[in-house]
Order: sequence, then C-alpha cells, then structure tokens
Amino acid sequence: MSGRVTIDRPPDDSSGGPGASDVPGSTGGPGGRPLSAEEESGARTGRGAGDGGWDDDSVPPADWGRREAAGVAVPWAFVAVIVVLLAGRWVLAPYLTSPALQTWATIFVAICVQALPFLVFGVALSAAIAAFVPASFWTRALPRRPAVAVPVAGVAGAVLPGCECASVPVASGLMARGVTPAAALAFLLASPAINPIVLVATAVAFPNEPMMVVGRFAASLAVAVLAGWIWLRFGKAGWLRNRPHAHEGESKLAVFAAAMRHDLLHAGGFLMVGGLAAATLNVVVPREWLDSVAGIPWLSILVLALLAVLLSICSEADAFVAASLNTFSPTAQLAFLVVGPMVDLKLIALQIGTFGRSFAVRFVPLTFGLAVLVSAVVGWVLL
Amino acid sequence: MSQSLVLMLLGGTVLRISAFSTTYLNYVKPGFRPFLIAAGAVLVVLGVVGLIRDWRRPADTTASTATSTASTSDSVSTSAPASASDSASASAPASTSGSAAASVSASASASGPGSHAGHGGHDHSHVPQVAWLLCLPVFALFLISPPALGSYAAARVDTAPPPPAASEAVAYQPLPADRATDMTVGEFIGRAWGDKNKTLTGRQVRLTGFVVPAKKKNQWYVTRMQLACCAADAFPLKVTVRGANQPPADTWVEVTGTWIPPKSDNVPLGTVPPEISAISVDPIQAPSEPYE
Repeated sequence: MSGRVTIDRPPDDSSGGPGASDVPGSTGGPGGRPLSAEEESGARTGRGAGDGGWDDDSVPPADWGRREAAGVAVPWAFVAVIVVLLAGRWVLAPYLTSPALQTWATIFVAICVQALPFLVFGVALSAAIAAFVPASFWTRALPRRPAVAVPVAGVAGAVLPGCECASVPVASGLMARGVTPAAALAFLLASPAINPIVLVATAVAFPNEPMMVVGRFAASLAVAVLAGWIWLRFGKAGWLRNRPHAHEGESKLAVFAAAMRHDLLHAGGFLMVGGLAAATLNVVVPREWLDSVAGIPWLSILVLALLAVLLSICSEADAFVAASLNTFSPTAQLAFLVVGPMVDLKLIALQIGTFGRSFAVRFVPLTFGLAVLVSAVVGWVLL
Repeated sequence: MSQSLVLMLLGGTVLRISAFSTTYLNYVKPGFRPFLIAAGAVLVVLGVVGLIRDWRRPADTTASTATSTASTSDSVSTSAPASASDSASASAPASTSGSAAASVSASASASGPGSHAGHGGHDHSHVPQVAWLLCLPVFALFLISPPALGSYAAARVDTAPPPPAASEAVAYQPLPADRATDMTVGEFIGRAWGDKNKTLTGRQVRLTGFVVPAKKKNQWYVTRMQLACCAADAFPLKVTVRGANQPPADTWVEVTGTWIPPKSDNVPLGTVPPEISAISVDPIQAPSEPYE
C-alpha cells in the first residue's frame, strides 16, 4: 500500500504538500516521525482524512510557509477566470454568434452597464453616510416618533437623484446609522420614483398628460408611506439582516473604502442576478402577448405591473417605455410607472443581497400589492 | 485579494468600453460616457487600494496554503481559518499592522469567520460567492462581444412605432426640392404621420439604418433602434422599403427615395410603418452610434 502510494505520486506533487518529499521513502513528519501507511494514504487521498490529524501540527515548517508566501497570495479562482477569458476568446468566441444569444448578451450588458454608475454612486453615498455622518445627525434630523418619521423620510426621497440601484445601499446605510427601518424603507421606495430627474423624464415622455406626473408622484409617495407604516406596525427586526457596523478605532477613510467594497461586491453581484433574469425575459417574452390583454381594464393593470417587474427598466427610462405601451389605459401605464421603481427583478435581487431573504419575501409582495392598489385608485381619480 | 482583483477586472472592462473605445454606444446613450468612466475609475481605484492593503498585511494569509496538499483554489479558501491560529504565531514578526487591527478590519484578507459572526455567515476575507457574478459582464463582453441590437431584436417587436404626439405636428421645416435630404428614421416617421403640411410629398430623402426582412414579399424595412436609456428599452423604428432588392439582414444601408403616401386614410396611424420608394440602396459601414 505504502509503496503503491509513493509510486503513484506525480512528480510535480512535491510542491503541493508538506507530506510530499522529493526523495521517495523519506516521507516523515517534521519531528522525524515516520508516517504510517494509513496516515500517508490519508494525506494522499483527501484533505478530509488529514484534517484532524497531523495537518494541524507543526507539519508545515515555518520556513515553508514563508517560502510559499508569494504563491499563497495567488487567488486561484481569479486566475482561472482570466485563463477562461483568454482561452475562451480564441476557442469559444467563434461559436457564440447566434443572434438570440447576442441579443440576450447585448441586453444583459446594457442593463449592467447602465446600472453600474448608479450603483457605484449609491454605494459611495451609503458608505459616506456610514463613515462621515455621525449617527446623532439622523436622530436630530428625523422626527422622534417613527410614525411621523416615515412620511418625512418618504418626502426626503425626492432629494436623491438616481434610480433604484442607488437607493437600496443608501437605505441600508441609513439603517446602519440608527434610522428607523420603516423610515429608511419609505425612503427606499420613494426616492427612485419621485426625484426630480425621474419626474422630468415622465413629463417629457407624456407631453400631453401632465396628470401622469402628478399621479406618479402622488401614488409613489402614498405607497412608500403606507408600506413604511405597515412595516412599522407589523415588521419584526429579525427579518432584516444586520449590516456589519463600522469598526471603532479605524480611520474614516478606511471605513469608507471597506464599506464601499463590501456593498459593491454584494449588491453588485445581486445586480447581475437581476440583470440575467431581466435580459432573459426581455428576449423570451414576445411583446404581442401584451396587446391581447390591453383591452381588459383590471387585467391590463396587473399585466403592466408584472411587466414592470420583469423588464427591470431603470426608473429614469421607464416612462418612455410606458409611453410606448400606448394600447393600454393610462391607469395601467401609471401602474407600470409606480411598480417599476419599487419592485423589479434586479431590485428584488439587490434587496435579498442587502437585507436578506426573509426580508424580501415579505417586503416585495407587500410593496407590489400596495403599488397595484394605490395606482389603480389614483388612476381612477386623476386620469 | 480576489475581491480587489474582481473589482479591478470589472472597472478595467468598463473603462475599456467607455474611455478607450466607443463600444459602450452599443448599450447606452452617448451622454452616459462620463458616468461610465467615473464608475470604472472608482472600481479600479477601490481595487488598487484593496490590493495595497492586502499587500501590506500578507501575514495572515501566507502560511495558510502550506497545509493544503494540493494547491487548488478551494483548499486555499477552506484551510485558511483552520490554520489561522498557528500560522499567526509563526509569522507574527512579518505582520505590520498587528493581529488586533487585522482581525477587526473589514478588508483584512484572512480574519477568522468568528470576528463577524453576526454577519450572515460569511466573513470579509474572501470574495462572497455572489460577487463572482460581477465577472459575467466581462465574460459577455470578451467572449460574445455583443453587437448593437440588430434585425433579430427589431423583428421581435412586430408592432409599428407609436404615433408621434399631436403637438409635434406643426414643427417641421419644408424640405429642399433639388437634392436628397439626410434624415433620421424617427424624423421620417414623424413627418409621414404628424405633418400637417405633408412636407415629405415628392421630396427625396436619405435614410440610414439596418436591414430587417419583412414577412410580405417585395418589401423590407430600413430600421433604426431608438433608446430611451439603454438597450433594454430599445424600440425599433421601421420604414418599409419598396422597389429595391433586399440586402442581407443586418446590413447597414443608406436608402435614398421618396415617401409613398398611404393609399387610404382609413388605416389608423401607428399600425403600419410608413413606406419609401427606393431610388438607390447603398451598403455602408455600421455607424459608431448605432441608435437614434
């Protein structure tokens, strides 16, 4: 058994493990203790067998670790990524030319490229809140009673110029600084829909329907405040995943950079999940399906609300898409505009990544239901 | 360390398509360039800062792989916490920042999982699994190098473009009679549908777009995609070309011709694309700015 193991060992294995020595037969622990066949086969066949045993001893000599220092820092997974990239460019790329795949990739990259600056901006703002704004500021700026703080935070959403990708990390940063979660959530829902840039875009897209802008503002703010209040009344703190708190004793810049990296890696990764789903649905779902339901009032509202979830269009652009869906009633278009910035695939993915799954499974249906109801009522009154 | 490299890879790719080429025009509007460059630069800077921090504090990671029998990526990551305790003592002199600071810092490369126990089960030492997805757009850009949306995407949306708002109906200038006028597809459609003065009648225009086959015989569409924000909300603007053979799909062409007024007024606007009677069709290079 022992001899077989020695013979089987590939020659280059000597660099890999401490048990592997250049000279066959001289295998032994650092203390000169000869390895039994059993121990050695454990070392050969898998780490699981070796973990509990000699692995944790001083088997890797101190100098071995130092010698490997440069090699250890090599992030192998990243190296694999680069290798696949370079090799794939020559080997795979000539085959990846199907129009459907290319269209899908174009839309996926477009969603990512378009959302990335907003995400970076939002993450930077959130990190700045975490690093530079003292927690006491928020307790002074917001009303003490949470029920009052919710609408104030909702209206304050008007000052954040950006789309929904920016608002998630900012809301998370606010919570980390002691803002009532319900108020931060009202801000999260309101800011992508009622900021000036989005309202101007809506006015441009609906030049003959100024009430569309009013309706969008009113309905979005109402949904945000209602959702905040409902969360305040029924929400449990345990549903929200806690953010790592800023560490004391570090420079503010270090906290800022660390918070940005953390948020970018998490929120960015989940943004990609949302982008994948949205691009796939964008390519797979034929638009003709939509026109067949445009005439039925209630169904059309639901269908456009669902479409807003699936398409995941940035809130700065969704008004133009809504305007192009002109076979639908204005109320259904309003539902598209109200739901889109609050619930969509990339946003759901971002919220799961930022606040945790048990939060998202409750908050997303709540917001969606409220948004559909409120926009139906507002559309019925105003449009 | 990997997380810094992932950020740098993504940031570098964003810079590559925005600052050093016009590839970004296939995906977003031209005005988006400064934001893309800024975002790419921020990502690269964050990555570099992280790399420098990791470089200065290599002690905690260095000895960890020595325990692995084969230098595979997963053995690197799984063995790090197990050996952190004994390796810290072995290489303490090399640590510049001290073990206390290293274990507290969010970007410490191998602080043990226990230091952030309340944080969803993952520690800061390695790339969170989901962050590897940040490489996906890089893969898509390198391997597929997705082109601007073409005939496949345009053909999927079969409905004609929306009719222009009535208020635009008066805004058009008369066209010169002696030469062909260059015109965007969007303007042509606007003039065809929303122009009280019918300024298109009898005038030669030149449209630039790509070829989309039509279902009916003896006609095809010269098409341009219109963006509101990014390619995900692109909408095809189509003009039916008659009197010319169809070039292969996706060929970029300049179509010179005259507008064919609709034969009856009964067809509601916006259901059928306007038509052009082609005098000449010239293949051209794809423009760097593919959308309208």
